[in-house]
Amino acid sequence: MRLQFVLTEVLHGLRRNASMVVSVILVTFVSLTFVGAAALLQMQVGKLKGDWYDLVEVSVFLCPEGSTAPTCADGEATDKQIDAVEQVIDTELADVVDTTYFESKADAFESFTELYPDGYQGTQLTEDDMQASFRLKLVDPEQYQVVADVLEGRSGVEVVEDQRAVFEPLFVALSRASMLAAGLAGVMLLAAVLLITTTIRLSAVSRRRETGIMRLVGASNLFVQLPFMLEGAIAALVGALLAVGGLWLAVQYLVTDWLQDAVDWVAYVDVGDVLAVAPLLIGIAVLLAVVSSVVTLNRYTRV
Amino acid sequence: MIRFENVSKVYARGARPALEDVTVDVARGEFVFLVGASGSGKSTFLRLVYREERPTGGTVYVAGRDLSRLSSWKVPSLRRSIGVVFQDFRLLPGKTVYENVAFALQVIGKPRHTIKTTVPEVLEMVGLDGKEKRMPHELSGGEQQRVAIARAFVNRPQILLADEPTGNLDPTTSLGIMRLLDRINSTGTTVVMATHDDEIVNEMRKRVVELSTGAVVRDEANAGYGQREPILPAVGQTPVLDAPGRDAPARPPRVRVTPEPADLEAERAAEVAAARATPDDTPDDPTAPHVEVPAHAEPVEHDSAEAVVQRVLRERDTATAARAGREA
Repeated sequence: MRLQFVLTEVLHGLRRNASMVVSVILVTFVSLTFVGAAALLQMQVGKLKGDWYDLVEVSVFLCPEGSTAPTCADGEATDKQIDAVEQVIDTELADVVDTTYFESKADAFESFTELYPDGYQGTQLTEDDMQASFRLKLVDPEQYQVVADVLEGRSGVEVVEDQRAVFEPLFVALSRASMLAAGLAGVMLLAAVLLITTTIRLSAVSRRRETGIMRLVGASNLFVQLPFMLEGAIAALVGALLAVGGLWLAVQYLVTDWLQDAVDWVAYVDVGDVLAVAPLLIGIAVLLAVVSSVVTLNRYTRV
Repeated sequence: MIRFENVSKVYARGARPALEDVTVDVARGEFVFLVGASGSGKSTFLRLVYREERPTGGTVYVAGRDLSRLSSWKVPSLRRSIGVVFQDFRLLPGKTVYENVAFALQVIGKPRHTIKTTVPEVLEMVGLDGKEKRMPHELSGGEQQRVAIARAFVNRPQILLADEPTGNLDPTTSLGIMRLLDRINSTGTTVVMATHDDEIVNEMRKRVVELSTGAVVRDEANAGYGQREPILPAVGQTPVLDAPGRDAPARPPRVRVTPEPADLEAERAAEVAAARATPDDTPDDPTAPHVEVPAHAEPVEHDSAEAVVQRVLRERDTATAARAGREA
């Protein structure tokens, strides 16, 4: 009886305030789409990092002939110096470094000629123009700084380079985009809160006669307020479901069906990730509705 | 049942108090008229009883509860033991008669089968049997007030508060409403009614509490309305008011009010329902207040709507004549 009565009241309210309810749905839809997009971008960044950081290495370039670096004052790195560096990598950095690979000048020249068979920008280079290096694969790619601290400044080591730096601009761009989406989402969420508040208030005012009688005959606060809360929650929930649907379509058609085919060597977010974000979006929607209704109802339907 | 102890109510800081040091005790099953000019504090008194307002001083006890200590989440339970009727009926325009009454039970979570049996009972009691499907705007004022009373009474409250329930109704219809309230009172419900209607008060001979600018100035059992307060200041001789032909104060032309046939019908139906219910519901109880009710409570006298009209008009004529006699 009670449930049925409350649901009838809710339906009544939704129908009476149809245009406001639609606007609440649209605003939550748009704002939650932004929230979801921000979350998916973050996930994409995570995926790329996971994927690419497995491939990247730390290069320890050894002094070549004629280097101006202070550690290379003695000229080209000697075998002794190379052994000393390898010793340090094997002992001090044993926990950090997963695998070590020494690329001699000959190896470097080989891979160079493979990449540029006709020389680099018209200049034919020789093996002596190459630079010997240690290629270190780290257990955790984030621990680059430890390696750099230990090895930089040692004699025979010209520079320690993190290949991750190559990807940084891309990650920075993706992070900024995700932050932008989050910022827009914040603004839209604020709009959603205000709109839900207004809608509930309108609904409460237009049903003042009913609520007045309810109070008069002794209906409990919860019973009086529940229909309004449910109205707000339903509208917000529909908005959240639309946002999930929108993101699902976007990921399915833009990423999985199109981007994946065009650029296939990158790991992308998929619809599974959208489903992972969905509970977050629905949770935010319900939270929005609850917060706005509690604030509004306390002001407009109290005794 | 209702006890006011030195109750004061000031709405705005610095304003004249709406009630000042009011001490009144209403016993269970009593019928009390609250009279006084507009603004004398009658409505405030009632609002304090159902805790729409809280006193600024003193204590209000209702049905054994100290309202100043009643936490706000217990207010609903207090209000379930109080029915309230207003001058403007306050029905829901989009709901039928039945739905309006059922609404009061639905919102306090009564089960459906209870509603199905209780609502028709109370509608029969107020004389609206067969009008369940009407909308409020299809009803006369008297019938609408009956619906409002049915809604207030459907949960069988211990107390029924009525704030000028006859203020919008013609005298005959008012009489019907009064008899309904009297009948409700005779089931043991305490009735407190704020009113301006001197005729009703004089006819019913119940306890009268008179308020004036927020203070109790009279509290009498079996009393009448009392002296009306002079509204206008005494005016000296004026050429207009004392124009020739006016020196013998002529009786103002009488406005004849013919009550809505529907109201009379409802009253008759209620009467019949009461007659039918009396033998079963209230067995021999010599203390039951309905025994004191004047002869008009007996249904035999009112076998037709026309008879009610005739009787009422007769009574009014006598009353007017008596008043004219007093004035002369």
